[in-house]
Amino acid sequence: MTVLRVPINRSLPLRAVPVLLVVALVVAAVISVSPEVRARVVSRPLDVVAFLVVVIAIVAFWSIPSDLAKRLKRNPLSITGFTIIALFVIVATLAPVLAPPTSRDPYLIPHEGFAPDPQPPRAGHPLGTTGRQFDIFYGIVWGTRTSFRVALFVVAISTTVGLILGSVAGYYGGRLDEIVMRVTDIFLAFPGLVLAVVVTAVLGKGLDKVMIAIAIVGWPTYARLLRGEILSVKQRDYVEAARAMGGGDLRIIFRHVIPNSIYPFLVVAAFDMGVVVLVAAALSFLGLGAEFGYADWGQLINMSRSWILGVPGNPFIYWYTVVFPGTVIFLFVLGWNLLGDAFRDILDPRLRGQT
Amino acid sequence: MNFKRKLLALVALTMALSMVMLSGIASGQGAVKNQDTMVVQSFGGPGTLDPSFSYDTASSGAFLWTIYETLIFFSGSRTDLYVPMLATEVPSIANGGISRDGRTYTFKIRQGVKFHDGSPMTAADVKYSLMRFMLLDPPGGPAWILLSAVLGLDVETTRDDNDKLIPDIWDRTNRAIQVKGNNVVITLKDPFGPFLNIMATWSIVVSKRFVVANGGWDGAKATLAKYNGLPNEDQYTLFDKASGTGPFKLDSWDRKTNTVVLVRNDSYWRAPAKLRRVVLQTVEEFGPRRLALQNGDADYIAVDRADQLAVTGIPGVSLVDDLPILSTDAFFFQLALNAQGNRNIGSGRLDGNGIPPNFFSDIHVRRGFAHLFDRDRFVREALRGKGTVAHGPIPKGVLGYNPKGQWYELSRDKAIAEFREAWGGQVWERGFKFTLLYNAGNISRQTAAQMLKEAAESINPKFQIDVQGVPWATYLPQYRGRQLPLYVLGWIADFADPHNFAQPFLSSNGAFTGRQGYKNADADRLIEAAARETDPKKRAALYAQIEEIAFRDIPTLYTAHGVRLVVKRSWVRGWYHNPMFFVGFGYLYSQSKQ
Amino acid sequence: MTAFVGRRLILLPVVAFGVTVLIFALLQFLSPDQRASLYVTDPRQFDRIDSIIRAHGLDKPVHIQYWNWLKELAHGNFGWSKTASMRVSEAIGAFFPNTLELTIYMFIPIILIGLWLGTKAAVHRDRFADHFSRFFAISLRGLPSFVWGLIVLMLFYGWLNWFPPGRLSLDADLYVRSDQFRTYTRLLTVDALLNGQVWIFLDALRHMAGPILTLVLVEMALLVRITRSSMLEVLRQDYVRTARAKGLAESVVIMKHARRNALIPVITLSSLLFVGLLGGVVLAETIFNYPGIGKWGAEAAVQLDVPAVTGFGMFIALVTVLGNLAADILYAAVDPRIRVQ
Repeated sequence: MTVLRVPINRSLPLRAVPVLLVVALVVAAVISVSPEVRARVVSRPLDVVAFLVVVIAIVAFWSIPSDLAKRLKRNPLSITGFTIIALFVIVATLAPVLAPPTSRDPYLIPHEGFAPDPQPPRAGHPLGTTGRQFDIFYGIVWGTRTSFRVALFVVAISTTVGLILGSVAGYYGGRLDEIVMRVTDIFLAFPGLVLAVVVTAVLGKGLDKVMIAIAIVGWPTYARLLRGEILSVKQRDYVEAARAMGGGDLRIIFRHVIPNSIYPFLVVAAFDMGVVVLVAAALSFLGLGAEFGYADWGQLINMSRSWILGVPGNPFIYWYTVVFPGTVIFLFVLGWNLLGDAFRDILDPRLRGQT
Repeated sequence: MNFKRKLLALVALTMALSMVMLSGIASGQGAVKNQDTMVVQSFGGPGTLDPSFSYDTASSGAFLWTIYETLIFFSGSRTDLYVPMLATEVPSIANGGISRDGRTYTFKIRQGVKFHDGSPMTAADVKYSLMRFMLLDPPGGPAWILLSAVLGLDVETTRDDNDKLIPDIWDRTNRAIQVKGNNVVITLKDPFGPFLNIMATWSIVVSKRFVVANGGWDGAKATLAKYNGLPNEDQYTLFDKASGTGPFKLDSWDRKTNTVVLVRNDSYWRAPAKLRRVVLQTVEEFGPRRLALQNGDADYIAVDRADQLAVTGIPGVSLVDDLPILSTDAFFFQLALNAQGNRNIGSGRLDGNGIPPNFFSDIHVRRGFAHLFDRDRFVREALRGKGTVAHGPIPKGVLGYNPKGQWYELSRDKAIAEFREAWGGQVWERGFKFTLLYNAGNISRQTAAQMLKEAAESINPKFQIDVQGVPWATYLPQYRGRQLPLYVLGWIADFADPHNFAQPFLSSNGAFTGRQGYKNADADRLIEAAARETDPKKRAALYAQIEEIAFRDIPTLYTAHGVRLVVKRSWVRGWYHNPMFFVGFGYLYSQSKQ
Repeated sequence: MTAFVGRRLILLPVVAFGVTVLIFALLQFLSPDQRASLYVTDPRQFDRIDSIIRAHGLDKPVHIQYWNWLKELAHGNFGWSKTASMRVSEAIGAFFPNTLELTIYMFIPIILIGLWLGTKAAVHRDRFADHFSRFFAISLRGLPSFVWGLIVLMLFYGWLNWFPPGRLSLDADLYVRSDQFRTYTRLLTVDALLNGQVWIFLDALRHMAGPILTLVLVEMALLVRITRSSMLEVLRQDYVRTARAKGLAESVVIMKHARRNALIPVITLSSLLFVGLLGGVVLAETIFNYPGIGKWGAEAAVQLDVPAVTGFGMFIALVTVLGNLAADILYAAVDPRIRVQ
């Protein structure tokens, strides 16, 4: 069961060095060639450092031969998923450099005038502008941060709550288990989207409310999943052994039960990272999303709602309002799905023996 | 590899199918669809068909002048000229219909008109209808319009502060509205200039026999309490059934799809309508509405200004624009803010991180904002140039509207000068910070808020305004709690009279001003005098003075008067517009399809 | 088995009322003014807010409101839904059959395509068919369903005029509402056939095709994934190895031995999917203007139409619990291991 406890060769292999070198060279070249880029980079040293750290981390993960990385590399779809998410992470860290903020709140998309119809890509607006002239490029770049923020927050909250309640219910069983499970029954019996709508409507508008709403809807799945796993793990010999040796409940839960039940949990969490963005977009569609003009992909795609149908005689005239936000959402969801699939194939012990 | 082959076959099949499909497209254009049926698609369908409950345009628009009719009607596109409808003549001083003192109106009721249930319409039905409209009085309903017109401006409801029915309200109404032979004589407590105008929209005549037969109020004093002030729509008899005198009968109201079907009334008192059927459908999404129009499945659709381009240039579709409607949008300053638990005013002090509760009571602040807001640009960009810049509360098309009304010139320098004077110079020195709210979903209000914010922040970096769109459920309590420093709202006429604008916007107990903390005794006096005056010339002069106060005191920053865009198939014949029509499809009796 | 079913049936009221308590608990966050926003939609009603609040009893504490609601419920009164202009019970009766019908029709292609692609993916693991099916399924899941809905609407209504939105076309609608048409099941397609009106049946199908297509595209991914992993597990089992060793044709092994056994978890999950679809239809119903329960539920929730949301939640909870129960029974019936326990 100890999937990740394979001895790791901790010396940085030589293979990683050239990759890092190439990245550094490319970055340096871009900076030295364009003064505008140089100015941006120089004005935001912290973000650039963060960017370099992220790149090093990604390259290190990829190059250090671990069991996980090895299995990840076996499947082209997994590689694709990993690459996509890595790129989004890079865009998110580099957001202030890629699209320098102009107003007090960097998440407010800058706009030029208020004209109601979208304008095609042009100098200064590489991906065009939406109706009301919000810059699509800016919205996408900063929306990457928003997406990670929303997805991470939601998944973190719902996994934490699910983890605590699920493990308590699974480990102790009895009446506690009964109560927790009935509560999850209640939450799961209500259609997720509608419950999210109720919560958002009650709390008011805004992205923070959307995050809370999705988390409230999300935790029961995790709780049940973990409980089920724990129920089966609990009977195993090593847990019995730990108990026999007088280990405290908490210790047993955290040291033995959870680590051995956590994998399906992680797989679902990876899938959920993508799903959260879709749910947020759906809420946006129902008029309960982020503040108007806030850099949020769901809102961007929602703004293009009337243009998906095109304009009479010219169905694709506003293609850029649909295609660009659509593509990033698509890639984000795709990336997490592929990663989730990869995790499952790698981590699910029942499937491990197979190739 | 087998899989790949199957996949290939599937792709090929799809391609072939789409070729077949595409070749089939060419057919089907040109001919008029649903020849005798007018199909209207809009969002937000009716919530009730009972005239005494209905107080929204979608509901009233469904039944008014289709199922039900009024004593008098607007003449063509005029809102100040009437033609007889269920009365045989429009009362005037000249024909004796209006008494010299302007308090008594006599309506001669048309004979030989039958309700849809076959019973004849009588003067008693008219009296009953008016009393029913006034006395059932659902909470937040339209009863106040007739109550205040007939029983005096201070009577706006039939219940006291404890929600108890006022004991003599029935008697007062019964006395004020009298049947004399075939005439209905209405005696107002005070002369009231807009009265005829109100009657042209709100004197909706229903069949008493029909209402009573369906378990409704019988008109007696004793039973009123049982029917008065009920909260829910279906507690009102005419909620989903109708017997009016109009050119169309109610066939069905399918609430599942929110579709109202009307059929021709063949025993109409004039020549029967040309259309055999009218179908009013509710389609919340713009996409399907537009495609229905394009395919000829709908004859009229509701189109938001932002989506205008998506319906421009469809063959067989015509757009009629710049149609005046009587509405006024504005920024409202809250002169006396409630500071308690108020998150919109920052620190609550004039220290650069907030505003004091009485921030807007300094007229220089208000004037400063007035100099900043570019109303021409607002109309040009947010409304696509479709709208009229507002110089005061009274919109175009209403008595007293002044196209050359004075307003604050757009000028950075003048704005700066005003802000420098405000609060003894502290505003300019320390700056301010507050939140400007609008109700989310309204794009033109959002744009207005954004424009004001950007203009203010551009003249002084210490000026900070956060613009926030909030759902109605968040907006309303804050509005009521006087917690909104500056907010955007609009008003649409109940009746085409300046009183309906001067009162809410400037009277100290008006719908808006009552909460803004603005009070001007001169304005109150003028508004009351103008309402009682019946001579249009004198009234116009009084309203000019009122608008002057609106300009000088500027409790409210007027932005624009709206116009309507009507989108219809070109095969629709006989359509015309009147600013008082609640709905774009207008008066259906005169319409047909080519 | 009886005991098991009995235990689950006891659960029914617990969950149903739990949902209503949940909703009323959420309302604790709302002030009466906020709740009044459903009834006050225009500045001209601003002066009347107090009387509106009192008329609807919105100023009472939440537990009193809940108690009043329960008392009304005892008389079979779920309250009045402002958003639907109907009693809540009427609204459920009007909207639910439509959604049920949609779900049934959508279920069939999802199962068929999902099983096919999922099996292919498992059998050809890590080869082209696997990558393709997974990528295909995930791709469709990768955009918000309203985007797919609008694209389907554009293609099949805007261009081809094949699948119009709504429930029925004008003529069919008038016919159905006339006395000539008798209602038996409230499922329109079934009733149309029972009335012998094939054209109405076809018309209803035509109007359902858009949302069905959209949701099949979006919801298929889950089933592909489940079938794939379930198949993978089965293919590893000894009896499959034995069958192969016996020299049976690969297709026979897969269809007869492997797939049949892999179906067990798929069946359970399918019935769960069925319940899930009831909740997943919100956006499709909105875009295709289909008078279903999801559209109403979401609209009521957005506008804080409390009686509607409560009644809706309670009803859907009942359906969900019953659906899960059916799944469990089905599962037990199919899988002998469970029956023994």
